[in-house]
Amino acid sequence: MPRHLSIKAPYPPGDFAIWIIIYVELLTFSLLFIGYAFSRRAEVELFNASQLVLNQTSGFINTLILITSSYFIVKAVQSIKNMTKQTTQSANSVASKWLLSAMFLGFLFLLMKVSEFTQIFGMGINLSTNTFFMFYLLLTMFHFMHVMLGLIILGNIYQKTKRVGYTTDDYSGIETGASYWHLVDLLWIVLFPLIYIIR
Amino acid sequence: MENKLEIAWFTLALLTIFAFFLGHFNTINSSIVAILLISTFIKGQVVIDYFMGLKNVRLGYRLIPTLWLFVVLSLIATAYYLPITHY
Repeated sequence: MPRHLSIKAPYPPGDFAIWIIIYVELLTFSLLFIGYAFSRRAEVELFNASQLVLNQTSGFINTLILITSSYFIVKAVQSIKNMTKQTTQSANSVASKWLLSAMFLGFLFLLMKVSEFTQIFGMGINLSTNTFFMFYLLLTMFHFMHVMLGLIILGNIYQKTKRVGYTTDDYSGIETGASYWHLVDLLWIVLFPLIYIIR
Repeated sequence: MENKLEIAWFTLALLTIFAFFLGHFNTINSSIVAILLISTFIKGQVVIDYFMGLKNVRLGYRLIPTLWLFVVLSLIATAYYLPITHY
């Protein structure tokens, strides 16, 4: 079919409820992002000095980890969506391997964040140290919780692929979980330059 | 194109490396921030289109996260570039 005649899907992938959650999450995080950006104006020197304490390399590696895990999730979804009645078992098996790889990266992200938080708290920094660290801790810890929830969701999807639970008629669940994981990725893509780079 | 997804991942990785080096070598100044925000917009749009799969969905659903990204990054730019007045 010519590109200009291609038919657009009426709804986004997965359960529609997840998209309501995604839009609400985007709105919530946007308030924190904008709050950070405008608060910075009042204390530019303090924000720039405090930012030097952060480990940019860790933020950079975490970004690569999240975009790669998101890529793995898309591969898992693709293998399920492209299956036929004859390939249900192998498609679920392939998807489970992609999911496991994505979850491994998700855990790696959490480990790196825990190490970063340990370092920060070890310096005696907390929420009330200054405005920069209040935003840094609020944003990154809130995001951390989203990654944890994402991993729980992916864990459930993984279990279902192991049971060969996705069929040609029923694969909405994996699309729903994938959409949530991509949200976590999208949020970090804005968070990384805002908190770690821009000065 | 068969390998759209791989190109999407490669674009994201490349722009992430670009952002990291800008920060790492302390080259951040006001004109670089604009480039950084534009590259962040491109990264976000790649995730929205190719990872979230909204490129082939009715425009309204694709526009919501795109507009979100545009508004958030524009406000960050406004906060950064607006002259600071001290009273």
